[in-house]
Amino acid sequence: MKNILILDYGMGNIASVKKAIKKLGYHSIVSDHISLNENYDCIILPGVGSFKTAMQNIKKNKTDCILKELVVKRNQKILGICLGMQLLAEYGDEPVLSEGLGLINGHVKKMTLKPNRLPHVGWNNVVVNNSKFNSFHNKDFYFIHSYSFVVEDKLDVMMSVHVDDKEFTAAVNRNNIYGTQFHPEKSQDFGLDLLKNIIDAKT
Amino acid sequence: MLKLRLIPVLTYNGFALVKTKSFGKNPRMVGNPIQAARVFNSRKVDELVFTDIFATRQSRKLNLNVVEKVINECFMPVSIGGNVSNLEDINDLLKIGADKVVINSNAFHDSFINKAADMFGESTIILSVDILIESKKKFILLSGKKYPLENYIDKIKNYNYGELFLTSVNNEGTQQGFDIDLFNFFYESVDKPIIFNGGAGNLNHFYDLFSKTKIEAVASSSIFYFTQYNPDDIKKEIKKIRNNVRL
Repeated sequence: MKNILILDYGMGNIASVKKAIKKLGYHSIVSDHISLNENYDCIILPGVGSFKTAMQNIKKNKTDCILKELVVKRNQKILGICLGMQLLAEYGDEPVLSEGLGLINGHVKKMTLKPNRLPHVGWNNVVVNNSKFNSFHNKDFYFIHSYSFVVEDKLDVMMSVHVDDKEFTAAVNRNNIYGTQFHPEKSQDFGLDLLKNIIDAKT
Repeated sequence: MLKLRLIPVLTYNGFALVKTKSFGKNPRMVGNPIQAARVFNSRKVDELVFTDIFATRQSRKLNLNVVEKVINECFMPVSIGGNVSNLEDINDLLKIGADKVVINSNAFHDSFINKAADMFGESTIILSVDILIESKKKFILLSGKKYPLENYIDKIKNYNYGELFLTSVNNEGTQQGFDIDLFNFFYESVDKPIIFNGGAGNLNHFYDLFSKTKIEAVASSSIFYFTQYNPDDIKKEIKKIRNNVRL
């Protein structure tokens, strides 16, 4: 049985993530407690709300330090979803400049769109840059966000998305670190497939 | 490319799904919300909206047990509304898996909607407004009473929220077509994504709306109960004039 933790740090839609993982046939635990004594197959960082509040919550009980130890030093898999993906960055601007987990280099900044409006909300197709995930090329996923992860190293951008004539980060990946700006748990069959692919991916 | 959205709306009266006509009395019973959610999920609709349309007027709270069962059927985003009046209500809905929360009349009490957006993020909050037109004048309906829209339009422009759910009261449930002028008025006035609701009865109505406006999201209800059309039929019709359709 896989040891999947959905980290509950007081931000957002945890029930949907748990439901999606159950649908895949996996068991997951929702908890605000993360332990150095556990060997997680996947730590899922969901989240909706503001970057700054989220980081304040994660810094309580030194959850941020434990996360870094497990992910960076012990190579355990992490998947950030939506705001959870943005928290992987070094910095975020929502609502004011604050430090993120710094697991992937880059900065989360407010988007500017025209003629589309903020938030970028709805289904949008992704461009896949990582051959392991080629089967998801051009598939539609559900997005809802006004800030976007500007990633420093292009190789970390696993998927991108186009709004108007601009390109934004749709998903990131570096080794055992994954993040999706869209909500795979809300993106019907392809979303569930992607979730399974990430959970099953070798680190 | 961002796809346009077609969003079925489930309107609930505390016991069953019902369908009103221009918000009139004696709504028609149209089924069970959980079964309806299951059907729309299997049809892979873009999103779903569920609202208890009598909760505020009857001073009731949402039946979270029913709401949770509706949400559990859905692997697409679900927005929930019905007398959402404090932060606790929103928290309760998010906890059971709601993606977005719809706030109608209560939005304007002490600018409650701004507090909600501060706490849960703008994109989690949908402002729902019901617009009635009488003698060419626009009114907003709040808890069943009408007020001149001009007293509220600045608030609607300036409040913090993610999307505007706009219902044409006159056309709602009539299946006689959309009020295109009403949509355009709000599209020019408000700088947010708008979900337009009220009036669809056949495929021509969608063709009309999408060819004459810049609309990106449309909500519908009656057409799914009282005609043979399903969401895919409608999207195929829209695809004739717009490329960005998710089929």
